[in-house]
Amino acid sequence: MADIKMLDPADRGLSAGYMMWYRFSRNPAAVIGTLILLSVVILAVFAPWLTPYPKHVGSIVDFKARHLPPDAGHWFGTDKAGRDIFSRTVFGLRVSLLLVLGVLGISVPVGTVLGLIAGYVGGWTERLISGLTNVMLAMPPLVMALAVSNLLEPTLMNAMIAITLLWWTWHARLIYSVSKSIASEDYIEAARLAGAGPFHILFREILPNCVAVISVKTTLDAAFVILFGATLSFLGFGVKPPTPDLGSMVADGRQFMPDFWWEVLCPGAAVLYVTLGFNLLGDGLRDMFDVEG
Amino acid sequence: MMRDTLLSVENLSVDFTSYGRTRQVLRDVSFAVAAGERVALIGETGSGKSVTAKAIIGTLPRNATIRTGQILVEGRNVLDLPRAGREALKGTAFSLIMQDPLSSFNPVFRIGTHLDDVMRFADRRNGIATSRAERRSRIAAVLRRVQLADAERVMNAYPFELSGGMRQRVLIGLALLHQPKLLIADEPGTALDVTTQDEILNLINSLVSEENMALLMITHNLGVVRKVSDRVVVMHHGDIVETGPCRTILSEPAKDYTRALLDAVPALYGPRVIDMAQSDRAPIVRISNLNKIYGRRNGYHAVRDVNLTLREGEIFGLAGESGSGKTTVARMIMGLLRPTSGELMIDAPAPAKGRRLTQIVYQNPGTSLNPKRTVRQTLTLPLKSIGMQGDAREARLIELMGLVRLPQSYLAKYPHELSGGQKQRVAIARALAAEPKILILDEPTAALDVSVQKTVIELLVQLREELGLTYLMISHDLSLMRNFCSRIAVMLRGEIVEEGATPAVFAAPSHPYTRALIAAIPVVSDVEEREKPVVTEEERMRFLVKSTD
Repeated sequence: MADIKMLDPADRGLSAGYMMWYRFSRNPAAVIGTLILLSVVILAVFAPWLTPYPKHVGSIVDFKARHLPPDAGHWFGTDKAGRDIFSRTVFGLRVSLLLVLGVLGISVPVGTVLGLIAGYVGGWTERLISGLTNVMLAMPPLVMALAVSNLLEPTLMNAMIAITLLWWTWHARLIYSVSKSIASEDYIEAARLAGAGPFHILFREILPNCVAVISVKTTLDAAFVILFGATLSFLGFGVKPPTPDLGSMVADGRQFMPDFWWEVLCPGAAVLYVTLGFNLLGDGLRDMFDVEG
Repeated sequence: MMRDTLLSVENLSVDFTSYGRTRQVLRDVSFAVAAGERVALIGETGSGKSVTAKAIIGTLPRNATIRTGQILVEGRNVLDLPRAGREALKGTAFSLIMQDPLSSFNPVFRIGTHLDDVMRFADRRNGIATSRAERRSRIAAVLRRVQLADAERVMNAYPFELSGGMRQRVLIGLALLHQPKLLIADEPGTALDVTTQDEILNLINSLVSEENMALLMITHNLGVVRKVSDRVVVMHHGDIVETGPCRTILSEPAKDYTRALLDAVPALYGPRVIDMAQSDRAPIVRISNLNKIYGRRNGYHAVRDVNLTLREGEIFGLAGESGSGKTTVARMIMGLLRPTSGELMIDAPAPAKGRRLTQIVYQNPGTSLNPKRTVRQTLTLPLKSIGMQGDAREARLIELMGLVRLPQSYLAKYPHELSGGQKQRVAIARALAAEPKILILDEPTAALDVSVQKTVIELLVQLREELGLTYLMISHDLSLMRNFCSRIAVMLRGEIVEEGATPAVFAAPSHPYTRALIAAIPVVSDVEEREKPVVTEEERMRFLVKSTD
């Protein structure tokens, strides 16, 4: 006899929203993650007004100010062309968030829909989709991304395409397993007996039960996408200079290590900050929804 | 005869805190168990009986606080004991038998390993060095005590290789490893078939008397109480309603709550039994020589040459234990499974688009309602598929809520905001929404408390009269079927072994399996116990699933 059962009658009447908020607000990881991400979003959106040198985003060269260490004027110091690293880092956050939006905006819906279909429909469709997913998962992601961005020009758009091509598979596989287990629930059969079509069952009966899993996975994934994007541009396959990107900033500063450490450390710390925010929020959401990652 | 008090719970009050709100779940609970005495703690969902047991064992969840009271085991307050001291009581002062014999075992370890682990840790705690071989012989002895004769085979088996009854026996053996003075059993038969439950209760009874143990039985089943207890503690909403000798409580309860609880138990024999009228209308479902074999070659023969006729307006009961094929028959009638061979005819005009002749009410309303959809959304679905729209649909929604006696405001609620009985009412409304002719009831009250079961059954009886429905009820609960079904068929291993009008079948069951099933039902009065059919040991051996070896 579970104690949950005991509490159930008493907890009836509490709305699902209240219970969620209660668990969220008492989860330090989730709250800190949310605050971090909030600060990142505000910085990224209002970057032109919040940064001291918004012009330094372009190809400006100021040799007098080269390699200045962090001080009151340049919080993160300056780089080899004398540009303010703080301003460039903040604009780099913009690129990272755009990448996350682009990649997850496409791969999450695609992966979710394919996973839902494979899990519910079964049979031949299931074999086709999971076969395709497995083939895609068998390719080393970095090699695949490098190949794609090598074929195409190295731009933000193409980096997005390269990552998206890989990313949907993880979601497809996760949602597939969730959808498959939900498909065998009594309420799905009851809906079918009540005359529901496959569209209704997929998107009205199964999908709402996947929301928790999807949001946790998407949040944790955002962190990986940022890291992956940074890796690509570190290797020179990401965003074209002079657009500031956290990965290529680290790559640029690398040659001046360890003397001008701030050129690597500051953009690197920014990557850490965003990733940490997404990971904390993701973990917090997981505790909140009580799903298995 | 005065006996020493073994366990004494005094003024125990426990609070649970969740979502920032604190609720009292136990209020001044006091009772005692003497050495060698059998006490039953009975109550419905939320009565606090399990929390009481957890408080005694020391496994309360973290959000529980013991506000007042003490728990004395042999005179010592266990709540004051340090953690290690409390741990040391487990297995020696008291042992626990859990409800679910399958989830209590780790599936990747052999039964022998489970038992050996427990014994090794307990031995180490008591500072005894033992060898593996010696422990093994002690384990074999314990297994033989719980009537598992081939102990060697059981020890080498994985949990899934044993039947439910055998697993429950092993769990009891596990509890007996160190000769506890008190055995705490938390619904030990609930997850088992009725005949297996009967054997397990017999085993517990004989062990308790042989070992001179005390028993604290936690259960919701009053029949079980009569079978295994000397004294009864009735709990309700965290309070003790009344305490008394088993016989007194069951025959002349002092409190209204206990009386209501007893009244809700369907009677097997006697004046309280309800005879459902036979239907003389035309047959609506005709089944002849129906077979179902799962798998292609050498498949599992789940249903064997079944012949059945359902008359319009009757309540037909298909009784049987797990694996008897009753659910497979029902699913074939619903058209969810294709028969391997045989004929299945439903004599009714073909339904209009989006409608079905048959609908089903599932056993567990907790899993048959989508947790993310409101009652309104759940009920709108079948109405939408028959093309009902706008005001007509709204009117029908209100009508349906009226039919199942739920207030209209519940349309906006999610399943987690409803009680089990209310959820089952919503499930019934969904099944009725598109006006089926035949309703399949798959153990519709098995997941509900007995008092809730009574109201749901009453509702179903009324609905049949109002709407002229035909019911096919699948169940293993023969006492419920006695009062609810007009005709009954008993299935055993895919075959129907007995069929007839319910009063006739219960008055003179012809097949030994039917007799064994009826005899195994825990009843609440001695009068009923005496009226049960007699089953010989030889018949029992022939027809019941062996749980001993």
